[in-house]
Amino acid sequence: MDFQAIHDRLRAVAAPGLVGADLPRKPDPKVKKDKGRAGDPFVIVEAQRLVEFLEVCRDDDRLKFEQLVDLSATDPAKDDAQLWINVQLLSLKFRHRLSIKCLLPKAAPSMPSTVPVYRASQWHERECAEMFGITFVGHPDPRNILLPDDWVGSPLRKDYEFPKEYHGISCE
Amino acid sequence: MTRETQSTPAASTRVQRLGAGELSVDIRTPDLEVNFGPQHPATHGVMRILMRADGELVTGAQPHLGYLHRCAEKIGENVEWLQYLPYTDRYDYLASMNNNLGYSLAVEALLGVEIPRRATLIRIICAELNRIGSHLVAFGTYGLDIGAFTPFLYTFREREWMMALFEKICGARLTYSYIRIGGLFNDAPPGWFEEVSRFCDVFEQKWQEYVDLLLVNQIYVKRTANIGIISREMALDFGLTGPMVRGSGIDWDLRRDMPYMCYDEIWRSGAFKIPIARGEMGALGDCWDRSWVRVMEMIESIKIVRWCLDNMVEGPVIADIPKTLKVPVGEAYVGIENPRGELGHYVVSDGGKVSIRTRVRGPSFCNLAVLEDILPGSLVGDAIAIIGSTDIVVGETDR
Repeated sequence: MDFQAIHDRLRAVAAPGLVGADLPRKPDPKVKKDKGRAGDPFVIVEAQRLVEFLEVCRDDDRLKFEQLVDLSATDPAKDDAQLWINVQLLSLKFRHRLSIKCLLPKAAPSMPSTVPVYRASQWHERECAEMFGITFVGHPDPRNILLPDDWVGSPLRKDYEFPKEYHGISCE
Repeated sequence: MTRETQSTPAASTRVQRLGAGELSVDIRTPDLEVNFGPQHPATHGVMRILMRADGELVTGAQPHLGYLHRCAEKIGENVEWLQYLPYTDRYDYLASMNNNLGYSLAVEALLGVEIPRRATLIRIICAELNRIGSHLVAFGTYGLDIGAFTPFLYTFREREWMMALFEKICGARLTYSYIRIGGLFNDAPPGWFEEVSRFCDVFEQKWQEYVDLLLVNQIYVKRTANIGIISREMALDFGLTGPMVRGSGIDWDLRRDMPYMCYDEIWRSGAFKIPIARGEMGALGDCWDRSWVRVMEMIESIKIVRWCLDNMVEGPVIADIPKTLKVPVGEAYVGIENPRGELGHYVVSDGGKVSIRTRVRGPSFCNLAVLEDILPGSLVGDAIAIIGSTDIVVGETDR
């Protein structure tokens, strides 16, 4: 199914937490400085209800997204007050993909863990947690995965400051 | 030992006097924690697995990553779009062409630029040759891990030829930076296609040697069949892709099911098949099935390369891309079939010269997560075979 059909199906089954969709568009000539948007369409889902939403995506007969391909986060800009969570789903049966975006407040980024729905997100959530400082409530193993256990700061945030030294070794 | 000389027994021992001068002592030994890595020839890179073993039986395994973390995603936010390309080479350094391809396709999805046909065909040739090279390493070093020292150099003999071909086309043997945004770095030199065709002819005979020497070898089968079984449900739940999922009997390959470039044309012409494991030597989803898939895929890649050589066209090899590239506002995710699975690039642009997010979905990272579940219950020797069968490259696991 193409994105429009998937979005219609999600609305038809009243998927929990579905806020809307964002589609690529050409620049609007009436609006100055509108650059339009290229790339993929995605649905916007409330972060706190992502778990129920993913259950619907996985179990619904017409959607059947058996695999969670990627769960990552983005810090769009230093002065932006929100973080994005980007989820990519894949259906092997119907050969379609879905991109999902959730918004989290940068000041207190916390959301329920999606591990009960897809085991694949276990390691992805660990990486998001250490790189962006997001808390996944209920994660079975919230340790750092790529960074050392005593790393300070969230490296992939735009306001991250590189440490001057680590365990007495200079990082300049 | 008499009772008088016996020191106070520890709480976990039970001492029983059987008769005159005879004692029976029960000792409970705790599980042994062994560090498998980070420095170990069989981990295929710097990776540490904290293994807990009760004698020879593995009771727990916890992978520890990050030893090869080189901040690729952070660097993506600090260098320009075209400058990021050499970094893509280095995550899965055994399949650099495919990494370049994944990144280029993701950025081209945002640019909306049309790639010349000749560039697409040469891209496919390079990607498939690199797939062969990567599977040669996977197969050869897997045999080496298990103890088969001979086939390793046989596979590397063909790999040398493949690397010589790539050296002729772009100057590098391992990290090519050849497939660029908009097309290719340069055109193939004269005589290159003829040599690729000769390579295909010779490879088919040599491939038979690998099968005869190792794949159906009784010792290899005994060491890899019926261990590390990944069920279909586990494969889907863990987001496994590539030979890991085809080795569990799931019929899925991005080149056929979500085609990119002109793979849909090649598929419709019937040029290649997708090898799906059938559990020939043991349970479906065991280590032998996964290595069988990789060996079979090498021959299918040769068929794809032959199709591209037969249908080659003349023309430019790069679209018109400015030196300082500004990518339109937007975000795109493109997943391609890497030798290890689905390599995904998620790029976000705000219209500038530098990306605001370059997320790399490395298949080795996702495939490795399954180890925590399949290693416990196996013997230590089998654990080596299972880790080798996941065919990970730590550069891609850590990025």
